[in-house]
Amino acid sequence: MYDFELVKPSTLQEAVAALKDDEAQALGGGQTLLPTMKARLAMAGKMVALSGVAEIKGICTDDAGRICIGGATTHATVAREATGFPALASLAARIGDPAVRNRGTIGGSLANNDPSACYPAGALAANAVIVTPDREIAADDYFQGMFETALDEGEIITEVKFPVPEAAAYEKFIQPASRFPLVAVFVAKFSDGVRVAVTGASSDGVFRWAEAEAALSSDFSAEAVSGLSAPDAGGMISDLHGDGAYRAHLVKVMTARAVKAAH
Amino acid sequence: MNDLTPAPQDALGLSRSVRRAEDPRLLTGGGAYVDDTAPAGALFGYVLRSPVAHARVTVAADDARGMPGVQAVLTGADLEAADIENHLPTAVAKNRDGSKAAAPRRPLLAVERVRFVGEAVAFVVADSLAEARDAAEAIEVDFDELPVKLDVAVGGATIHPDAPDNVVYDYGKGDEAATEAALAAAHRVVELTVDDNRIICASLEPRGVWAEMEGERLHVCFNGQGVWGPMGTLATTLRMDKAAIRVTNPDVGGGFGMKAMSYPEMVLVAHATRMLGRPVRWMADRSEAMLSDNAGRDLICTAKLGFDAENRLVAYRMDNVANLGAYNSGYAQHIQSELFSKVMPGVYDVQACYMTSTGVFTNTTQVDAYRGAGRPEAIYVLERAMDYAARELGVDPFDLRRRNFIAPDSFPYESAMGETYDVGDFPRVLDRAMAEADVASFAARRAESAAAGKLRGLGLCYYIESILGDPSESAEIEFTEDGRVTLYVGTQSNGQGHETVYRQFLATDLGIAPEMIDVVQGDSDRIAKGGGTGGSRSVTTQGTANKAAAAKVIEKFAPFVAGLLEVEAVDFGEGAFRAEGSNRVMTVLEAAEAARTAGETELLKTRETTTLPGRSYPNGAHICEVEIDRETGQLAVVKYTVVDDFGNLMNPMLAEGQVHGGVAQGIGQAVSEHVVYDETGQLLTASFMDYGMPRAVQMPMIAFHSEPVPSTANVLGMKGCGEAGTVGAMAAVGNAALDALWDLGLRRVDMPFTPSRVWALLQLAEGATDAA
Repeated sequence: MYDFELVKPSTLQEAVAALKDDEAQALGGGQTLLPTMKARLAMAGKMVALSGVAEIKGICTDDAGRICIGGATTHATVAREATGFPALASLAARIGDPAVRNRGTIGGSLANNDPSACYPAGALAANAVIVTPDREIAADDYFQGMFETALDEGEIITEVKFPVPEAAAYEKFIQPASRFPLVAVFVAKFSDGVRVAVTGASSDGVFRWAEAEAALSSDFSAEAVSGLSAPDAGGMISDLHGDGAYRAHLVKVMTARAVKAAH
Repeated sequence: MNDLTPAPQDALGLSRSVRRAEDPRLLTGGGAYVDDTAPAGALFGYVLRSPVAHARVTVAADDARGMPGVQAVLTGADLEAADIENHLPTAVAKNRDGSKAAAPRRPLLAVERVRFVGEAVAFVVADSLAEARDAAEAIEVDFDELPVKLDVAVGGATIHPDAPDNVVYDYGKGDEAATEAALAAAHRVVELTVDDNRIICASLEPRGVWAEMEGERLHVCFNGQGVWGPMGTLATTLRMDKAAIRVTNPDVGGGFGMKAMSYPEMVLVAHATRMLGRPVRWMADRSEAMLSDNAGRDLICTAKLGFDAENRLVAYRMDNVANLGAYNSGYAQHIQSELFSKVMPGVYDVQACYMTSTGVFTNTTQVDAYRGAGRPEAIYVLERAMDYAARELGVDPFDLRRRNFIAPDSFPYESAMGETYDVGDFPRVLDRAMAEADVASFAARRAESAAAGKLRGLGLCYYIESILGDPSESAEIEFTEDGRVTLYVGTQSNGQGHETVYRQFLATDLGIAPEMIDVVQGDSDRIAKGGGTGGSRSVTTQGTANKAAAAKVIEKFAPFVAGLLEVEAVDFGEGAFRAEGSNRVMTVLEAAEAARTAGETELLKTRETTTLPGRSYPNGAHICEVEIDRETGQLAVVKYTVVDDFGNLMNPMLAEGQVHGGVAQGIGQAVSEHVVYDETGQLLTASFMDYGMPRAVQMPMIAFHSEPVPSTANVLGMKGCGEAGTVGAMAAVGNAALDALWDLGLRRVDMPFTPSRVWALLQLAEGATDAA
């Protein structure tokens, strides 16, 4: 790890001010950033730790019935307290291990947008709204490719608002070593249709599987999925844990399993 | 006959499942590992490693030498100029034609050329680790890249000029002509080729070392598997007298053979300490460990089994090609050759046997011993081949084994490889295993799995193991002033629980309470000689020496105690000296105290050395059941049964623990551990993000049962148990995987059975069905 300056703001206002510095880098739970820094593969002149900003932590329900989660809320807290959206709580409960869940945050995960992270699938499938100090971004506009998001430089996630589906489930097939999703699918059934978000599979990061959404919106059953062809393997990640064809196949399998498990 | 039965009230003696004395200390942070024990103020060493697999290099370190906190920067050129050997030696094997195997130089720091990713290029010593790393980044290394050679085969880009076609050695053993003739005359010949995949050891504690000057003497402390071998390496490379070097091993967090060999860092730290006159420490991080620790396995084996019309095995030929990596590690040339040969014919009565092994260099990290060292590899190919043969011959795999077992009444049995198996009762062990594993109900379990969309398979491996390592060992028993006992041993615990078991020996033989006994290991200044840990040798060799030393203590003390008790003679029994016709008794500790008071100091220290007359041969049956998810290719080991003949068990609970750990490592290799290099020689599985260590959640409950036939090759009647679990596990899983997939038309399945690889097999099967 290279030397850096550590800033620990206690209010959102202080955090936003600190991040105006060109050298500054926001630090959530550090579960991706710190190992990368320790390996000297990343460096920042100034780290702005968000863990002391109380106003962007915690879970509540807004007037529209949405589950609203502060950006600096840990996975463990979501797993324990997001009882109004069991599929999301279950997703959080299965990220990493207890140490990761007690440090890692929803805002950190969504800001990083790792193509194999869990939260992007939950946010995209639930049509969540990503809230920053100055604006609200719809999930459909937020995810812009592997490690790419709509966030501007220094812009942090203060809150994520999740509409609660009628039924939902997250099915994850883990990569044997990292236990990140090799392919994972979040299925969310709303009154006006079904959304299916896939993580781990595509080189463009999380994506919605339109064919499955169409089929499931008219018939919410595993059989509706079995009639589909697997998505195109062309854009899929291919690595030592599975080639594109395998990942495309798993998208279909995990989608059907998520539909079966949805409640 | 051995006499091991402890007194009935003796719950802490031999054959009892005494709890590990080490655990409270090791599990509550009380362990003193190498990085915990470095002297205060020690300088930090950091190794700059090659990022490319094969290149000509030039190294410029002048800028780094001027960096803050830097005390020394060493390059290959600096070592060449210093008064040391820039080379780690290896035990050189002999080729079939009698010539010596290739032994090119293995430099401590690369000179002009690097040959694998992770090879040490420079060594920086600085006041802090951060400063050492900063300085390493300032070292300029020019890489002029060369073609890489990665496949486990003869040929390819030359790595060492003195190893044409990258052949390291060409080993052969057995009667080739007789074997070929028997194969030619056989009723049926079944041939099978299997990959034995490369693994990374990944011990919980990575390698580390520190050194300091003790006056004019050099003290080197590292986490190894013994201190005397490395002392020789240090003396040779540093051109020092052994007497001027002290080597110690502190607590060690797992070795598995990987830590038995010498590495460049130990010598570099020692050299820098001597040069600077200040203590120096070095500890590998996980990525360094994965790049630079000796790897294991990595060979391709082809078996040819010849059967007569009654399905009796009449000939066995095995040829393997073994990857040694870029350099010869210390014992690498003997693993897939001589050590493999020890159990090459397994438990079968077949006298026409021949094996070859061809070692090849590749641009990868060096490969050497890994838990079992040659014996798991030998049993893997043989048991996969026997299972496959049963299918090809259309007979039950259990029956084929039984038909070919060495009969219980033919021991001692000399195998075709010249090993004398002392005892064994393979049919009895197999019967027990079939009953314990409930093989009879397998069809019902398979049907249940099928109803859940899963393929279920059952696999058997009947393994035999040969205990290796130095058969000699010494024990010294010292009665100390504080009224306690110190036992000096020549073995080296890497976490197995030696301390617990050795105390059991003295509790049984001398009636001394375990908590009064201190076990000392791993210090060349306090113990003159020892064999360390390896080859499942420790408890057999050290236990035998412990018993001999204990017997000598009684013999030495008896006249003295008789004098004290004013009797003609005393006997020792039930934990104390007793005299016939007298109700006076005296414990050993009381006697020692009296001897000290009486000035009989020669009684207070007793050292005995013993040599085992022969090797023991643990053997047993592993029966594994796997389930494969047809949709995803996920394979899970769902049922696992082990019946072992370990002879007499010194501590049944610890023996079972060894089996659990061994099986876990075998299942790890079979299911998830997968080393992958890309086409340029970059290690893609260089962290736990990509290297699939087995996890507790993947492990089945492992049922363990003992079916002992006491060994006649040692007075304890025991057989070593440290490696046996690994030896049996790989083929049991592999055979179960093939059993699950056989009906789909698949005929060759290789480890590791990762989801994507199994799914690819399932696709192959579907393709085959479509084509038909």
